[in-house]
Amino acid sequence: MDRRDFIKQSTLTAAAFGLSGLTNLVARDAHAAAVDVSFAAEGVFKNMVDGASIFTWRFRDLNGFGPGDLSSGLVVMEGDAVDITVYNDLDRPINLEIPGVLEGTPAVAPTGSHTYSFTAPSAGSYFYHDNVNGEIGRAMGLAGPLIVMPADGSNRLYAGGPAFDRQYTLVLHELDDRLNSAVAAGGTYDMSNYEPNYFFVNGLSYPNTAGDGDTLVAMNVGDDVALRFVNTGVITNPMHFHGYHVDVATRNRVPETTVITKDSVLVNIGECVDVMLACNQPGAYPLHTHYVPGVTANGVYVNPYGGALIVMSAS
Amino acid sequence: MRNAGMKHGHHPPRHGGGRVGGGTPPGEGARTFGFLGPGPVWLSVSMMGRERMADGRRLRTWFFGRGFNDDRSVPSPVIEGIEGQMTEVTLSSMMPHTIHFHGLDVDQWNDGVPSTSGYVGRHQGGPGGGGHGGGYGGMSFGRVDGYDNLGPQFTYRFVAPHAGTYSYHCHVDTVLHFEMGMYGTVIVRPPDGNPRTAWNGGPSFDKEYIWHLHTFDSSWHNEMISSGRTVRHRPDYFMINGRDGANLLSDSTTAISGGPGETILIRTNNMGYQPAMVHLGGLSFEVIASDGRPLPAPVTTSQQLVAPGERYDLLLRLPMPGVWPAGVDYLDIRLNEILGRAATSITAR
Repeated sequence: MDRRDFIKQSTLTAAAFGLSGLTNLVARDAHAAAVDVSFAAEGVFKNMVDGASIFTWRFRDLNGFGPGDLSSGLVVMEGDAVDITVYNDLDRPINLEIPGVLEGTPAVAPTGSHTYSFTAPSAGSYFYHDNVNGEIGRAMGLAGPLIVMPADGSNRLYAGGPAFDRQYTLVLHELDDRLNSAVAAGGTYDMSNYEPNYFFVNGLSYPNTAGDGDTLVAMNVGDDVALRFVNTGVITNPMHFHGYHVDVATRNRVPETTVITKDSVLVNIGECVDVMLACNQPGAYPLHTHYVPGVTANGVYVNPYGGALIVMSAS
Repeated sequence: MRNAGMKHGHHPPRHGGGRVGGGTPPGEGARTFGFLGPGPVWLSVSMMGRERMADGRRLRTWFFGRGFNDDRSVPSPVIEGIEGQMTEVTLSSMMPHTIHFHGLDVDQWNDGVPSTSGYVGRHQGGPGGGGHGGGYGGMSFGRVDGYDNLGPQFTYRFVAPHAGTYSYHCHVDTVLHFEMGMYGTVIVRPPDGNPRTAWNGGPSFDKEYIWHLHTFDSSWHNEMISSGRTVRHRPDYFMINGRDGANLLSDSTTAISGGPGETILIRTNNMGYQPAMVHLGGLSFEVIASDGRPLPAPVTTSQQLVAPGERYDLLLRLPMPGVWPAGVDYLDIRLNEILGRAATSITAR
């Protein structure tokens, strides 16, 4: 497959990323492209699934892809020269770091801007986040996924790695509304008191997870599906699959060798876990955290609304 | 299918679908407590449990069948199946409940999730409707309004895919029904039914123990539907197999005993809301399987983290006569700090 076809196919399978603003697929036809992105770091009142309105932070892509409720996502290719310019519209300094790629970067003062530059590293799942505010930055939502595709243009997790027919990026995070209230008032929060009460996949809670093309995992029997869990929150998430076992391919881009075939996959804080699902039966099956309070919205379980539960639908 | 009645004292169902199922007397070979199956299993639901904790408090519990080991309400009984064979579990309940066979990769119709698979029980109406609508914020008990009703009795069927350790639990208003005790362990035996081999061609063992790992937030145990009061789970009881505190040391299902040189299989099954660090008093052991699948190669270690929903099968060879402390540290989902401990022991003599 040549690169143009790859982009087309990726656009087909991942197009909804762009539509919802989760992952901004940068289409081009040369290797080692230059990728320029501009993010506004901003505060926004986010509507919870139960009607509550809670002040959150996000990095919003200014290039026109819809912002969604989650920080924008990026898909780039190995070797790309990436510039991310951050405009800080918040009331306190922030920065942008990418664990394993871009660390210890300068802060941006309120109303200021800074361009963070890096060369896209080896293929895999990453995330970017504010690290000036530590865990509060991530708990407030100042983090998003960065997906690096192999330079050979293959639909693989990495060159020579598992090949997939479809891929989904599933960003896991959560919030404790008491922290958000404190930050909205210009204050801070003692993170030792952090106990979240709203939980998200790609910024959405059930049933909205099932109505979003990036988050409803649609498959055909026979497909090999890559699922990229990116935990930008500050709790561990044991993700349980109904209907299927999966193979854990990588943890923080390191191939898994010891505990591979699982129905419950622990995704640690700040961890990126890529799994492969060989779709071998039709049906609709939940995929959810088995920290079951994480399936609720402020304690309410699933009906009429809940938390970090998504649906896999195979035909 | 094997005749379960021959081997396990299986009884036919009582009229009306009451709890029935064979129990094996304690102390028979590898079996330290009662199992249901292989062969058809009938389960009813009790929402009248009262479990006595080590401090003397009695907490309300809900559970399947007659509970664990026939001597306590929680966890629910162990269900046994055989790889490659059809397992049938019939649930009878007037109140809305289901069974989700966790890790058994069953098809959608047998998956026990109310929104996609329906619920067992008397039909519950729309918001405010049904026989139990009042007082739950417009939702019926179980939050199953609008979902398919399977009637008051339903038989779940699946072919057990691979020998190993699995779970089952109610998936109705799960955050509460699970906490109340509606969960248990499923053991799938190898195709030949050998109860002392982990899987065909896998390790064999002299005795096996199930460590069902769980916690209670006692403040949740008087709720009847999830609500703003079931957010922020703060466990105050830390258990293995429904026992906590000093009761763990005297409990034959948790305290491990055997002769020097014997090989013990410990099937850990975390059905709690906190990650659990399992240790065997510093003794090293082999982790041979997780989530019903063998590891590519056994991993030798002296502690194993078992996250909520995970199972790890641990193979311990008792090295010499002696007594070792053993147990489980339940960890905070955020800071990995120890919230509480379930301490038991290992004795070789």
